[in-house]
Parts: sequence; C-alpha cells; structure tokens
Amino acid sequence: MEKNFVIAGFGGQGVLLAGEVLANAFMLDNKNVTWYPCYGAEMRGGTVNCEIVMNDTEEVSAVNLKEADFVVALNQASVERFVSKVKKGGWMIANSSLAKEIKTRDDINYVFAPMTKMAEEIGNIKMTNILALGIAAKVSKLTSIETLTNALDNVIPPHRKNLLPLNLKALKIGYEYDLLHA
Amino acid sequence: MECLQKTKKKVLMKGNYAIANAAVMAGCECYFGYPITPQSEIGEFMSGKMQELKRAYVSAESELAAINMVIGACSTGAKAMTSSSSCAVSLMQEAISYASADELPIVLVSVMRGGPGLGNIYPSQGDYNQAVIGGGNGDYQTIVLAPSTVQECVDLTYKAFYLAHKYKNPTILLADGLLGQMMEPVEFTEYPYPEIDNSSWALSGAKGRNGRIIRSYAPLAENQCVFLNKLYGKYKQIEENETEWEEIDTEDADIVLISFGSPSRNVKSAMKICRKEGLKVGFLRPITLWPFPSKRIAELSKKVKMFLDIEVNMGQMLKDVKLAVNGAVPVEFFNRPVGNPPEVDDIVNKIREIMK
Repeated sequence: MEKNFVIAGFGGQGVLLAGEVLANAFMLDNKNVTWYPCYGAEMRGGTVNCEIVMNDTEEVSAVNLKEADFVVALNQASVERFVSKVKKGGWMIANSSLAKEIKTRDDINYVFAPMTKMAEEIGNIKMTNILALGIAAKVSKLTSIETLTNALDNVIPPHRKNLLPLNLKALKIGYEYDLLHA
Repeated sequence: MECLQKTKKKVLMKGNYAIANAAVMAGCECYFGYPITPQSEIGEFMSGKMQELKRAYVSAESELAAINMVIGACSTGAKAMTSSSSCAVSLMQEAISYASADELPIVLVSVMRGGPGLGNIYPSQGDYNQAVIGGGNGDYQTIVLAPSTVQECVDLTYKAFYLAHKYKNPTILLADGLLGQMMEPVEFTEYPYPEIDNSSWALSGAKGRNGRIIRSYAPLAENQCVFLNKLYGKYKQIEENETEWEEIDTEDADIVLISFGSPSRNVKSAMKICRKEGLKVGFLRPITLWPFPSKRIAELSKKVKMFLDIEVNMGQMLKDVKLAVNGAVPVEFFNRPVGNPPEVDDIVNKIREIMK
C-alpha cells in the first residue's frame, strides 16, 4: 500500500518541519518513506510545499506523483493550488484561519479547522504546523500519536528541546480535534 | 546536523547530509569546497564535523581553488574530496583533466541542477555529459557513479572513495538536486572496502628514499604515447571489473526501459504497472555511468524489440544507449527537460503508445 501527503503553506509556517516529523513517524513504524521539498528562493513568505510518500510493501517509491491521498493546506493559496491534486475520495485538510471554507469538489472529503487560531490559543502561533499534523494523522489513521511523539523528539534539535512540551500539546490538540464538526 | 557514526537503526536524512556523513565514515581526511545550491548541506556538515574530528576543512575562495586543493591533498595520498553543482563543476574541468594525468584519487560529488549557464536550482540530469565525457583537455576518463536513493548515496560514496584510490583515478558521484534535498531512512555500515596502500607513489617526504614528482607535463611525444597506452590499459581494466547496473524482468521483455538516478524510481514504478497489464516490459538502470553497461545492453538488443530511454535532460545518456544498441533495434526517448522526474502515468502512456 502506498499513500502520499502534500503539506503546503507560506515559507515560515513550518511546512517542511511538519513533513519531516511525519516522515520520521513512518520510519519509526518501519515503513518505507520518502520526503522531498519544493520551494522557491525565498526564506519567508513564498510558497513552499513538501510531499511525503509512505509505502509499506515496496522498497523504493516513485516521486512527483500526480495525485495525493491527503493534502494539508495551511493557507488559501495552497488550497487553490492543491485541491485538484487530491485523489477521488481523498482528503483536503485546510487551515480555515487563513483559507475560505468553500468546498469546490464533492468527490473529496474536507476538514476545515482554524489551526492558526487554535495555535494562538495554546500560546504560540508557530505551533500551527504541528497542530495541523495532529489532525492529518488522525484523519489518515496511518500513524499513532505515540509514534508522532517520538518523531517530534527525533526531529527537534537539542537547542530547541525547550519547545518540545508545547509541540506535544499542539499535536495532542490537533489529534483530538472533533472531526465531525469540521 | 549531528554526525552519526555506525548506526544500528535507520535514521531519516537528506541526501546531501547522507553523502557527507558517508564521506566522513569512508575516512575522508580533507574537504575543500565552495557553497552552491542544491548541495550546500555537504559543505555545511563538513565545516563542523571535520574540525571536530581534527581533519582538514577549507571553505575555499572559489571552486577552482577547491578542486586544486583536492589535487594537492590527494598527491600526499590523503582521502580528499570536494562537492559542487553544475555551473560550478564547469569551473573544475581543467583540474579534473590534470588529476587524470597525475593519476590522483580525487573524489568529486556533483549534485546536478538546471542548466546550461547559471540555469536554476531545480533538479536535472543535464550534466551526464559533463561527468561522463568531461570538459577537460586530452584523453582521459573519470569513473562516474549514479545513486537513485538516499541509501545508495551512502553506499556509492563509500564506493567512490574505494574506486578512486584503487585505480588512482578521479571519481565522480553524480547525484541530482532531488536526491540531495530528499529525505529517506538510511543505515550507515562500517566502510566496507579495504584500505589501499599508496606508499609506492604518495608524496610523503623523501627521507630515506629518492624524491618523487607528480606532474602532468610530458615534453617528449614518445613518453606521452607510453603513458596514454598505460592509462587506457587501466581504463580497460576498470570497464572489465567495475561496470555495475540493476536489471529487472528482462528475460522475456519486448521492451527495456533504461534510466539512471532519481527518475529511475518512477520508471521502475511505470514498469510494474505495465507488467500488471500484461505488457512485457523490462528495466535496466546503469549504476556506473562510466564504465557504462554497453556490453549488457548490446546483448539485450539481440533479443528485445526496442528500448525506451528516459531522462531529465534533452537526451545525453541516449547517445551511449544508441552506441551500445548499434542500430539493432529502435531506441525511443522520453524526457522532461528539467525539474522533477516525469510522472509515472506519463511514462506508462508513452510505453503503451510505442508498444502498439
């Protein structure tokens, strides 16, 4: 089985890091995984996205896939750009703090959650990415919160370990987000 | 990025970091480099790690300086390397020719981006010719290894150091921007190759023996004839011993897909889809671009109906495939000029179209 994710947003929102945590989680689950980024020359404010391909049977996955099982869009531009990439029956998981709650397709599933606002409520707007990851993990049912917790510990560098508890909190809030009302 | 020694469990790592870490594990004693996207992480990693291990790291003033520093270090028998990308590897061509003439084991990691000229920072395979044929003067040949996964970036970095020293020949690890920036789980084993004794030629100080000179200047024509014949004897040996490729399902194949580097992953996926549809498709991936698996392709051309060569450039390896096939069967070509590999569906459609 092969499943792939696209995580997209503004440069600076932590899109690549969220992808790295997810890829790490799949590795810890003993699955084959590939992460690759796509970004412009800008450090902040430009568009950025990364793709994570998880495969639990075959050793090497193809890259640059036409469709995605899950798209996590942290802003309006990313929703517009990637909504057509979502596989039939796949998921668009969007940050409704920065994107309009409009469903342009009826053959895919939508989750709208005010991720930026929720991150602000726990005290740090920078947690938007990890909160989004929590929601995506729950929706996909492909990895557990325990594995993601270990993955976060792997990815966050030693000099940023003070932010680990807050990241874990964001992950949990995302994971426990009420999908029925989204 | 923390340096990892031998790892028992897998770690998620970018291709560039994996290459750098593998070089450290292979015993690289000197790194000289000048930053350029998409391979700057190699220099970044080395800048910290080499100093920590009390090995040599120099952030050179130019690419020209960097590769000439590698020549200097290698002439003492040290394991030395540099890394760079496309337009900056162009600046190193003269030195590669000199190192070939000097028979020095230089290791160059070339992470391809878009070209010609300054081009862009997207992945590309446009430097196949630059690596395999080269832009230096005279009759010379570099060994070229082409990884397709991050794990292979590690394995072939080990191999690059081994082959460079075994044959005293410039060796290029030819990756692309996608592999350099991609993260995959990797494992680092101990350096699996024997250490090569270089005491018979290295400039190690002439105490107790006659002095040695390493140079490429050969003023007498007859001496140069002898040298070139010897050099080409070595190349022949490398061709016989070191040609490496991956081959799948070619026994009953009507068509064989040929692709190297990161795009070969998509080609392999396309092949599997075609097989499920009952199309007899095989797959061949050159791992050493030089020596090129010409002999094997020539053998296959006697039993298959056609080849399809797939690259992210305008058709550079295509010429080597055609040379090997030598007109026996048609060689089709499918490409994307620059950027990420062609999508799997597009490759499948191309295969269906030409197999009609």
